Amino acid sequence: MRILLIEDDRNAANYLVKGLIESGHVVDYAADGEDGLHLAVTGEYDALVVDRMLPKRDGLSIIRMLRADKNKTPVLVLSALGEVDDRVEGLRAGGDDYLVKPYAFIELLARLDALVRRGGDSNSLTHLSVADLELDLLKHKVMRAGHMIRLQPRELRLLEYFMRHAGQVVTRTMLLEQVWDFQFDPQTSVIDTQVSRLRAKIDKGFERPLLHTIRGVGYKLDEFP
Amino acid sequence: MNFHRLLHTTAIRLALHYALYYALLITLGLGVLYLATSRYVDAQMAAGLEQELTRLAQIDRQYGHDRLVAVIAVEQQTASGDNRRYYLLQSSGGQRQAGNLIDWPPGFVADNHVRNVWIEDDLIPEQLPDKDGFWPMIGTRLDDGSRLLVAQSVRQAEDLQEFILGTMAIILAVSIGLALTMGWLLGRTLLQRIDAINTTTQQVTAGELSTRIPLSGQDDEFDELASHLNTMLARIEKLLTGMRQVTDNVAHDLRRPLARVRNRIEVTLMEKRDSKEYRSALEETLEDTNELMQTFSALLEIAQAEAGSFRGEWKVVELSAMLEELGGLYLDEAEVRHKRFELQIEPNLKITGNRHLLAQAISNLLDNALKYTPDDSTIRLQAAMQADRLSLTVSDNGPGIAVDQRDKVFERFVRLEPDRSTAGNGLGLSLVKAVADLHKAELRLEDNQPGLRVVLLFNP
Repeated sequence: MRILLIEDDRNAANYLVKGLIESGHVVDYAADGEDGLHLAVTGEYDALVVDRMLPKRDGLSIIRMLRADKNKTPVLVLSALGEVDDRVEGLRAGGDDYLVKPYAFIELLARLDALVRRGGDSNSLTHLSVADLELDLLKHKVMRAGHMIRLQPRELRLLEYFMRHAGQVVTRTMLLEQVWDFQFDPQTSVIDTQVSRLRAKIDKGFERPLLHTIRGVGYKLDEFP
Repeated sequence: MNFHRLLHTTAIRLALHYALYYALLITLGLGVLYLATSRYVDAQMAAGLEQELTRLAQIDRQYGHDRLVAVIAVEQQTASGDNRRYYLLQSSGGQRQAGNLIDWPPGFVADNHVRNVWIEDDLIPEQLPDKDGFWPMIGTRLDDGSRLLVAQSVRQAEDLQEFILGTMAIILAVSIGLALTMGWLLGRTLLQRIDAINTTTQQVTAGELSTRIPLSGQDDEFDELASHLNTMLARIEKLLTGMRQVTDNVAHDLRRPLARVRNRIEVTLMEKRDSKEYRSALEETLEDTNELMQTFSALLEIAQAEAGSFRGEWKVVELSAMLEELGGLYLDEAEVRHKRFELQIEPNLKITGNRHLLAQAISNLLDNALKYTPDDSTIRLQAAMQADRLSLTVSDNGPGIAVDQRDKVFERFVRLEPDRSTAGNGLGLSLVKAVADLHKAELRLEDNQPGLRVVLLFNP
């Protein structure tokens, strides 16, 4: 997909551009707020990665301008500030997700992926399926290869998130934020445990596993690892 | 303390100002007194002269001219000292008939009115001690056309004037001297007190943070100022010591993972290796940096919670719902770790605060309970109203924390001996403390007999 990166730290930007290109994206880059806004308005992008502190025009003001212009391109805000309300402020300005420096590149990639695909029509679907796994959101029913699987409400929510992001890498922080609405840093492997329980229910006894662990990153629900 | 500095003290300046004001007042007062006195004396003299002239004129009328000459001769003999009167009886032809004034003062008219007339030295007989000057005198023309004059030497008035002026000068000198001495003494005392404060602040500036201003024990405003400054210094010292300790700890705790990363990279680069080896070295490095990042964000979070003015989101948190969610996560985790987890949450509990920080604090407590208790332990998360306070408790029946260690565990990076080998950064309870303080909650570590019970008491 086409991504516009607006970031004034050239060193960081170089790595980001390199990483994004190697991940198969097309990247435009602007080093200050004015250039960034110009590119964002004139170009067609699938997603914007915007640093908050920028020369000439700050990141949040770019997002406000775009939103006022009815431009709905998903925006991932980067910030070195990291205070709790910065996040709220960033999202309120029209940002779609927020990442605090220092962040893992893989986290950024996963979040970008989630942002762009969220824009699709999967939100309105009431029936989701990946390979032979099916989820009926209206009846709260889960079937795998014709077998009924009983899930707790929270497990159901977790599975729904995975299925809406099927084929995408999902990090632990994303799960904690999106499924549980928490933004803390657990010192124990609470999320892994939740995923393991879900995996035990949907994968155990089936020939081909669907819920894959991506080492050092998170998880992916997909037909193929 | 030199003279120049003393001159510039407020005390000396005040004293000098007062001395000037006093001198001015005294001069004014004495001046008025002097004027009043000399007028009185003048009036007295004038009255005396008129009376004398009238008496002499009457003698002339009643007893004749010769008797008058005789009386004047007697009067000028008996007149002596400061009250010397001068007389002159002159015939119509200008001949002196009696009196001790040598000649009629030029321009003086005998019209029965007292006037001040300039008397030259040559009008005064040499054997008399009086000097020239403006003398009050009165004159009249007698029936036979001769002129009679009575005058008064002004030595008495001049003496009085001199006396008053002299007194004024002495009072002035004494009052200025007194004011200066007082100012000097006061200035020296004040300077000594101020110098004590100055010396201390200079020492503190130079880095001796434990120096304090000595108190005089007089319990005056200087002692008050000094004790306030001392309190401030103590607070600054405590903060600095704390900060230094944190910096030391940060340096110490980050050095190990950093050294590990560096060593691994160095060793990996020493020889040519296959891509699998490079990959695993990089993966391990990535894990180490993750750990470093976690430590940093924990530190940042504590700093945010501890900051004097919290800028984060602050609103009503549905505590019961949040604890149920959190409990759900930890229930499964406890099961995996072969521990029991009990959740006793009263419904609809609410507190005002920051949801994110509260969740982090409670999760830190639960993490600790899971990490530091043996298998088959029981961990409890309870929340209920107690009297008018909301009590939130995390308890376990593990090894607990010894009484003398309970304060220590809230310090950053502190890890108790048996736990040093397990994963963790020693920041968990520091954050809990910071979050409790931020929410003005009381934080207690209690003995669960056996085990640890952490109690957070929130005010309504």
